[in-house]
Amino acid sequence: MKRILIILLTMAAALPVAAQDASGAASTDINLLFYITTGFMFVVAILVLFVAVYLLQVINVLAKKVEQERAARQGTAYQPEPGFFDKINNWLNDFVPVEKETTILMDHNYDGIQELDNHLPPWWKWLFYVTIIFSGVYLVAYHISDSLPLPASEYDQEVAYANAQIQKLKAANPAPAIDEANVTVTTDVAALADGKTTFTSICASCHLADGGGDIGPNLTDQYWKHGGSATDLFKVVKNGVQGTNMVAWGSSLSPEKIRNVVSYVLTLQGTTPAKAKAPEGDLYTPQGTTTPADTVKTQASL
Amino acid sequence: MELEKIHYDNKIVKAFLIASVLFGIVGMTVGLLVAIQLFYPVFNFDFQYTTFGRIRPLHTNAVIFAFVGNAMFAGVYYSMQRLLKARMFNDTLSWIHFWGWQLIILSAAITLPLGITTAKEYAELEWPIDIAITLIWVVFGINMIGTIIKRREHHMYVAIWFYIATLVTVAVLHIVNSFEMPVSLLKSYSWYAGVQDALVQWWYGHNAVAFFLTTPFLGIMYYFLPKAANRPVYSYRLSVIHFWSLIFIYIWAGPHHLLYSALPDWAQSLGTVFSIMLIAPSWGGMLNGLFTLRGAWDKVREDPVLKFMVVAVTAYGMATLEGPLLSLKNVNAITHFTDWIIAHVHIGGLGWNGFLIFGVLYWVIPRMWGTKLYSTRLANIHFWIGTLGIIFYALPMYVSGLTQSLMWKEFTADGFLTYQNFLETTTKILPMYKLRAVGGGLYLIGVFIMAYNLIKTAASGAFIANEAAEVAPLVKASHKQGYWHQVLESKPILFTVLALVAILIGGIIELVPTFIIKSNIPTISSVKPYTPLEVQGRDIYIREGCLGCHSQLVRPFRSEVQRYDPKDGEYSKAGEYVYDHPFTWGSKRTGPDLHRIGGKYADSWHYRHMLAPSEVSNGSIMPAYPWLFEQTIDKSSTAAKIKALRIVGVPYEEGYESQAVADLEKQAAGIAAGLKKEGYETADDAEIVALIAYLQRLGRDIKADKTASN
Repeated sequence: MKRILIILLTMAAALPVAAQDASGAASTDINLLFYITTGFMFVVAILVLFVAVYLLQVINVLAKKVEQERAARQGTAYQPEPGFFDKINNWLNDFVPVEKETTILMDHNYDGIQELDNHLPPWWKWLFYVTIIFSGVYLVAYHISDSLPLPASEYDQEVAYANAQIQKLKAANPAPAIDEANVTVTTDVAALADGKTTFTSICASCHLADGGGDIGPNLTDQYWKHGGSATDLFKVVKNGVQGTNMVAWGSSLSPEKIRNVVSYVLTLQGTTPAKAKAPEGDLYTPQGTTTPADTVKTQASL
Repeated sequence: MELEKIHYDNKIVKAFLIASVLFGIVGMTVGLLVAIQLFYPVFNFDFQYTTFGRIRPLHTNAVIFAFVGNAMFAGVYYSMQRLLKARMFNDTLSWIHFWGWQLIILSAAITLPLGITTAKEYAELEWPIDIAITLIWVVFGINMIGTIIKRREHHMYVAIWFYIATLVTVAVLHIVNSFEMPVSLLKSYSWYAGVQDALVQWWYGHNAVAFFLTTPFLGIMYYFLPKAANRPVYSYRLSVIHFWSLIFIYIWAGPHHLLYSALPDWAQSLGTVFSIMLIAPSWGGMLNGLFTLRGAWDKVREDPVLKFMVVAVTAYGMATLEGPLLSLKNVNAITHFTDWIIAHVHIGGLGWNGFLIFGVLYWVIPRMWGTKLYSTRLANIHFWIGTLGIIFYALPMYVSGLTQSLMWKEFTADGFLTYQNFLETTTKILPMYKLRAVGGGLYLIGVFIMAYNLIKTAASGAFIANEAAEVAPLVKASHKQGYWHQVLESKPILFTVLALVAILIGGIIELVPTFIIKSNIPTISSVKPYTPLEVQGRDIYIREGCLGCHSQLVRPFRSEVQRYDPKDGEYSKAGEYVYDHPFTWGSKRTGPDLHRIGGKYADSWHYRHMLAPSEVSNGSIMPAYPWLFEQTIDKSSTAAKIKALRIVGVPYEEGYESQAVADLEKQAAGIAAGLKKEGYETADDAEIVALIAYLQRLGRDIKADKTASN
C-alpha cells in the first residue's frame, strides 16, 4: 500500500516538473531556470525524505523483531523502547510516569486532595530563564546602552523617514505644485469623482451631501462668505476659517485633492437641493474676478 | 485519636452561588445590550440611563464584581472550610459579608446608570461605596484569617495561599486607588492627577485582573479540579515556585496599559519586561491544572465538569500568553485602543472565569443537594454552545481590531492619511460587531440552559445546609525532613506578611518615584487649570462616560499626530494633564481621540453633533444626548468643586470659589450668545454649554506656549 502511494506521489510530483521543463527550455529567463532547478531539488528532497522515513520504519520493525526474539530467548518480558516523540516529551517535561507516581506522592491529604512532587518541567524553566534574560537585555538596550529608540525619538525617526520618502517621491515625479496662486478648476471625470468622494466623506458632515448647507453654508447658490473663485475656495479649504466651523484641511488633504474637491463643489453651483440653507455672504459673479473661463463652462453645463 | 464531628456551612455557599448566577445573567444581558448598541444606536433609547457610556461600566462591574465576585466567595467559602477542616470562623460575619456585598452591587446598579462615577475603570463606584467595599472586605478578611487560625489542618494547601494573596492585595489596591477628595455625598475627585492617576489606576486595573479574576480562581482550580478528576495535583514544587513568582511579578506589569502614553519611559519599560517575565509563572498554573489530568483524560471525555475546566485552564494559558505579547511595544502599537483588547479580556472573562465557574457549579450543586446532575446532556449542550459563543465573540473582535488599526495607520504615497474620516474605519467593522453580538448571545443562552439544569438538579435533591464531617484535631507536624516552604505553610500570619511584602515591592518602586521625582512629569508653563464652567463640563463628560469610547491621548505615532493634530503636530505630553483629577485617557477608541478637539470646530458643530450625531456624521454610531439641552448646570456645586480641587493640588487662588459662579456665568453667557448668533437658541445654564466649553478647551494650552520647562 505504502509503496503504491509513494509511486503515485512520485508521478504526481514529476508531472509539473516535466511541464516546467518544457516551458523552461523555450525561455531563456535565468530566473525561471533557477526556479525549475530549485523546484526539482525540492521535489527530490521530499522524495528522499519519504524514502528515508520508510527505511527507518523498516529498520525499526526489524530491530523490534530482533529485540523480541532476544527477549524470548532469554525468557524475559519484552520491553518496548519509548518512541521518538515519547522521548522528546519526557525530556521536555521530565514526568514521573503515572505508574510510578506513588514514589513521589507527598504524605499530605487535604480533603482528599493529594500532591505529587514532580520536577519543574524543564521547558518551563527554560522559558522562565529566557524571559528573564530578555528582560535584562531589553532594559539595557533601551535605558543603558541607548541602542534602541524610546517613543519620543522613535516618533522623530518615523516622521523624518516619512518626510524623506515624500521628498524622494516628489523629486522622482516633478509636477508643478498646486497652490492657491495657480489652482484651476479641473473637469477631469476621475478628478471630479475623487472630489466627490472627499466631499461625501468630509464636507457633507456640515454642508450636507447635496451641498445644501446645514452647519456650514449653502454651496449651491451664488453667495459666498469668502469669495467664490477657485482660488478663494482653495484658500478656505486649505486654511479653514478661524472662529467658524470651517476646519483647515491643508495638512490633511493633498493640494491635488483640495483642487478636486473645490472643482466638485463648483459643479454644485445652480443645483437645487431639497433643503437649501438661505444664502450667506456676498453675491459672487465670475466676471468680476479672474475666474478661469472653464469654471463658467462647468456651471453652464449643469 | 478522637474524631471530632463538625458541620460545614453550605448555606452561605448556596447564597453566593445563587447571587452569582443571577447577577451573571443580568451582567451578561447588559453586555449583550451594549454590544447591540454599537451597531444599532437606536438601542440607546435616547434615554440617559441606558446610553452606552453609562451602562458599559454597569456591564463590567456586574460581571466582574457580581458574577465572578460572588462565585469567588462561594468557591472560597466551600473549599476553605474543607481544606482547613473547620467551619467558617463566624457565621454572622459570613452573612454580613454576603448581604454587604449584595448591597454594594445594588448601589452600583443604581449609581452607574445615574452617571455617578469616578471615571476610573473597574473602580467607578463613588467614595461612600468605596468605603463600604473596604469594610466588607475587612469582614471577609477577618472571617478568612479567623478560619485559618482555628484550622485543624496543620499545613495550608496551595489554594489557601492564593486566597491569602487575594485578600491582602485587593485590599491594598482598592485603598490606594480609591484615594479621593469628596465634593458631596456622591461626587469626588481623584487624589492623583493626570499621569500619576493613570499609573495608579492601571496598577489597580491590571492587578484587579490579577488578584480578583486570577489568583482566587487559581485557588479554586487547585481545589475543584483535582477533586473532580480524582487525581493528585501534578507538582507541589511547581505550585510553590509559580505562586511566589506570580504574585511578585504580576504587580509590576500595570504600566503595559500605558505604553506610548505620557507615562515616563522607565515605567513603561518595567511594565513590558515584567509582563514578559510573567508568562512562565502564569503558565505554571495552567500546567499544574492540565498535568493533573494526566491519566484522567478518559474522564474529560465523559464529564462536563472537567470539560469546562479544561477549556477554562486552556483559555487562561492563552490569555496569559497573549497579554505579555500585547505588552511588547510593537504589538501594542497596533492593538491598543482597538477591539483586539476586547477579544483578549473576553478570552479571560468568558473562557477562564466563566467556564471555571460553570465547572464548579456543575460539580458542587449536586453535592450540596445530595443528588445527581439533572441532565449531563444539557450540560454538554451548554459546553458546546458556550465554546461556540467564545469563538464567535473573539474571532470577529480580532479581525475588527486589526482591520481598524491598520486603517488608522494607512498613508497614501504622498503622505496623507488614506482614511481621513475616522468614521470610515468604524463603519467598516460594524459587521464584526454584529457577529460578536451573536457570540455573546450564544454564550448567554448557554447560561440560561445551565440555570435551568441547576434548578432542576436542586429540585431533585434536598439541600444539606450543614454538612457533617468527622475530622481529627490539629496535630503539630515536625519539619525535620521536607521542604522549607512547609514551615511557612503552617505559619499563616508570617505567610500573609511575606505575601504582602512580595506584592508591595513592585508597586512602591513604580509609584513612589513617579510621585516624588519632578522630572518624571515635565511641566508646561502655559497649561492652566480649568475654568469653573469647564470643570462642570468635564464632570458632565465623566458622568456620560464619554471616555468609554473616546481616548484623550494622542500617541507619538505619525498616523495619530497627522489625524488628530495635523496643523501643529503635537502628540500628548505629560505636562498637559497636571490638573486632570481624575485622568480621562480612556482605554478604547470606538470614536476618535479628543485630546486635540479644542478649537477644531466652532461651538455650533458640537451643539448640533451632541443633539443628533448621525445627522452631522452620516452613519455615526454615537448616541444622541438630548437631555444635555434640557438639564441645567448645578451651579451651587461650583464652589465646593473648586475647593476640593484646590485641596488635591490645583492652584486656584484662595477664595476663588466665591467668584467662581460669576466667572462660570460670564463664560456660559458668551458661549450661548455665540450659538444664538448662528441660530441656536440655548439657555446660558444648559449642560451642553458647559460640555462645549470643556471640549473647546481640550489640548489648547500647549499651543499657547510651546516652551516646556523642567
